[in-house]
Amino acid sequence: MIRQIIYKEVLENLLSLRFALAVLLTTSLFVICGYVFVDEYREQLTDYWKKANDALSALREESDQLYKVAFYKQGIYRKPLPLALCAEGEEKALPNFFEVNAFTADLPRTKGQANFALPHFSHVDWGLIVSLILSFAALVFTYDNICGEKENGTLRLTLANTIPRHEVLLGKYAGVMMTLAIPLMIGMLVSLIIVIPSKDVVIGGGGWLKILTLALVSLLYLSIFVLLGMFVSSRTGHPVNAMAILLLVWVVSVILLPSFSRIIFDVTFEEPTEQELQRRIREVRKEIWDNSERYGKNAGSMSNNLSDPINNPPARARLQNAIMDATNQLLQEHHTKWLEQALARRNFACLSPAVIYQRACEAIAGTGIKRCADLYGQVKRYGADLKEFIRSRDMEDPQSLHLIGPEHGMAYSWRAISHNPVDFDSVPKFQERAMTLGQSLKLAIWDIGLLTLMNLGLFAAAFVSFLRYDVR
Amino acid sequence: MIWKIAKKELLLNLMTFKFAVGAVACVFLTVVFMPILAADYRQRLALYNRNVTDNDTELRNVIVYRNIKHMIYRPPVVLSAFSAGLEKQLAGSAKIELEKVPELSVTERGGNPYLPILAVFDESLIFKIIISILALLVAYDVVSGEREQGTLKLMLSDPIARHQVLLGKLLAGLVTLSVPVVITFVIGLVILLSYPMVAFSGSDWIRIGLMFVASLAFTAVMYQFGLLFSCLAKRSAISMVLGLFIWIIFAIVIPNASVQLATKLRPLESQEKRDGRMTSIREELNNELRTQFNSVREDFSHSIITSDESDAFGGYYAKRRDIYWLNAEQKLNNLTIPIRLRYADRFWDAERRYLNGFFRQKHLAHRLSLISPISTYENVMAVLAGTDLAGFQDFINQVRNHRNEVVAYIRDKTDSFSSASFFAICTEEESAEFTKLYVQAKEAEDEQAKAKAEQALNEWKREHPGEAVPLNLEDFPWFRHRPNSAADLHNAMPDLAALLIMNIALFGMSFAAFARYDIR
Repeated sequence: MIRQIIYKEVLENLLSLRFALAVLLTTSLFVICGYVFVDEYREQLTDYWKKANDALSALREESDQLYKVAFYKQGIYRKPLPLALCAEGEEKALPNFFEVNAFTADLPRTKGQANFALPHFSHVDWGLIVSLILSFAALVFTYDNICGEKENGTLRLTLANTIPRHEVLLGKYAGVMMTLAIPLMIGMLVSLIIVIPSKDVVIGGGGWLKILTLALVSLLYLSIFVLLGMFVSSRTGHPVNAMAILLLVWVVSVILLPSFSRIIFDVTFEEPTEQELQRRIREVRKEIWDNSERYGKNAGSMSNNLSDPINNPPARARLQNAIMDATNQLLQEHHTKWLEQALARRNFACLSPAVIYQRACEAIAGTGIKRCADLYGQVKRYGADLKEFIRSRDMEDPQSLHLIGPEHGMAYSWRAISHNPVDFDSVPKFQERAMTLGQSLKLAIWDIGLLTLMNLGLFAAAFVSFLRYDVR
Repeated sequence: MIWKIAKKELLLNLMTFKFAVGAVACVFLTVVFMPILAADYRQRLALYNRNVTDNDTELRNVIVYRNIKHMIYRPPVVLSAFSAGLEKQLAGSAKIELEKVPELSVTERGGNPYLPILAVFDESLIFKIIISILALLVAYDVVSGEREQGTLKLMLSDPIARHQVLLGKLLAGLVTLSVPVVITFVIGLVILLSYPMVAFSGSDWIRIGLMFVASLAFTAVMYQFGLLFSCLAKRSAISMVLGLFIWIIFAIVIPNASVQLATKLRPLESQEKRDGRMTSIREELNNELRTQFNSVREDFSHSIITSDESDAFGGYYAKRRDIYWLNAEQKLNNLTIPIRLRYADRFWDAERRYLNGFFRQKHLAHRLSLISPISTYENVMAVLAGTDLAGFQDFINQVRNHRNEVVAYIRDKTDSFSSASFFAICTEEESAEFTKLYVQAKEAEDEQAKAKAEQALNEWKREHPGEAVPLNLEDFPWFRHRPNSAADLHNAMPDLAALLIMNIALFGMSFAAFARYDIR
């Protein structure tokens, strides 16, 4: 019997105007999304490779002397990802440029990309279409699912048969989910059909698995709204009342809540300022300089002539390394504060299933805030690797003092770091490691759990309401 | 008869569940969030006041004219609670320098880069989203619903013209919807005014009045869309679905798509190209400066002694200079400052070309989004609140004028930058005297003469301690930001007119559809 109900629901929906409109709207948006993405991705990729190659050739020029490689600040750009098609993760507004050398990595920066005068940095991706348009369609499909049948009198007829209520409910749920899956799948396929033939976008095996996971998470998210629609529909007598409540819930949870939480957060939390960071760095440096003798005699003074008795190279190197370590520590703390603030603001908005869904999509696609922060971590690790490389190569030079310290004057005039040329091919190059599906899922697991929990809660609510529903 | 129909519809509407839900939601959201918006405004105002006070204090401590390099801050807009616009997106400050003409700069936004500025909450969001849906929900069944119930047949069996029925329904819908609009506005204003730092000027009240009119016109447009669909569809379920889909297109698809399309159709000039242009101008400037410096290099070669002290805004002033050095520097300033001023204009021209690309893109996005009444309404609210791009451009224009006044003021006070007071507190006479005594002490032939000369020098130093006195800024052209209300109102007119035209066109279409409506 449950099959018959599903069959009837699907057929009824397929023949309705709302289905036609939903398919038309979502498919056209997926098409636009595909074309826009291919175009933008190609442009971004060309731009990225140009900048990356420029940065590499600049590094090559420095490789005539080892110490120059250590001091050269390499610019590292964020590579555009093919899965940004699914979840762009507001990357346009996030940091995209990192500078690193063997001693320190600057704080991530955003280099001008977007037009500041446009109302907001919006981006049409799968996440947006599903979280806004299809979730809305889910409500339009379900608002009269139960109360509408009651009004028509067909619910009485159905229940007059020997069929338990939970089967009716499950049948209706499955029917709507199948109907919704059609525009979702058509849209995703169309979008992929547009994207795949372009040679620029290469999606690997892991990428396809991630896309499949994204499709499943999207269905999980849409299921929340289907269950919500059924719950409200089984609590109200008239479809119009159900629609009014559902629209309110949808508007509040999908549109207003993220904005609300942002303004509440902005009013309550204070941003760590750049001036504060600079002040702390100045204080720490001053403190170390004032106690320079702690690092050895004459650590605070230096003359370019190495044989000058005021010079104490090991002490000087210890002092400069201490300053650099303290600065790096402060930068790290500042970065952690930034990140905590940004994540806290988003967690704050997590009452909204749309935010949870978008966060899960970002985690699976490997984009968004987490990716930028992870990239910064990788850049810093690369800096450490570079330092190790410098150290090992430096050992080969008997003329060097083997004092790997961040003071350029020491390396230049004392030869604290080797001045020998270095084989450019052996210099470590930065390579971003993308997250595997396992790592992505680990990041998304909480969000998927939350979405599942919402599903279970709403299913229980819909179930109880429908069991007690007065069909007269 | 129109009145009877209107009254019946009004009563019916007011008693509905959907109306209650919509109206309560509007009131609730306003009551909860207006205080937060007010608190946000208070915070920004406090920051602005602190910045202005610090800046003014520092400006009053400036010792020499060269160091007048103060900041100008844009006061936060109180009406941003109604429409936030670009208020949080754009930096509202500019530095006054001789070398640079202020411009809405594309400089990297300071602060946390992980916190992208996204659409923020304001009062117009309630109208844009909730009241627009409410309008559609109120309107979707006014005709098709009555047909389904059979009451339309009954009504039209009376000797009443169809346009009267439609007008009655329209009137009732507008009166119904104006209830939440009025309540939301009144509650919002009352909450806002209960904060001591909020004070509205006359022009603010005009702006608020026009915002109210725009909100009513916008609500009417959304209502008429519902009415049109109701007249087109036979079943109310279909008119509702049509209404909801058109809403999602207006609220989400068009605002996003117009931005995407505008960025595609009018791509921005690359930043590298702009940087290249700036670098080549900078090279030209450096070349010219170098040539000028070479012409006075000889003068500098005679210089003997100097003593500098730090001044406000991170600058420094010359406390004592020997006369050769002082004269050489005067000569150099006289030659180079006009060049710097000329190049400042050239830099600005180059920057303006780059920025115009941004503005063209923005204007195209705006024009494309005009087909959505929600976007039109959003824009008209931002213009009226003074938080749109034009408001910021106006501020920067005022700052630019202020810079010109400051440049003229300094030029006037320093005899076209050639006077010593431009960079030093010592006068030419003092320098000459100081040089004479200093040289005497240096070149004294015997110990006795040297001691005597040094004593004379020290005595002179005691008599002329070179105490720095802050500049007398009595006639300084202080900056006062004047919001350009006339221009804002003028800018709002096209969008307001668009809303009115939409109303008329929609009514015409509804009328045509209803005249041919099959009531069976």
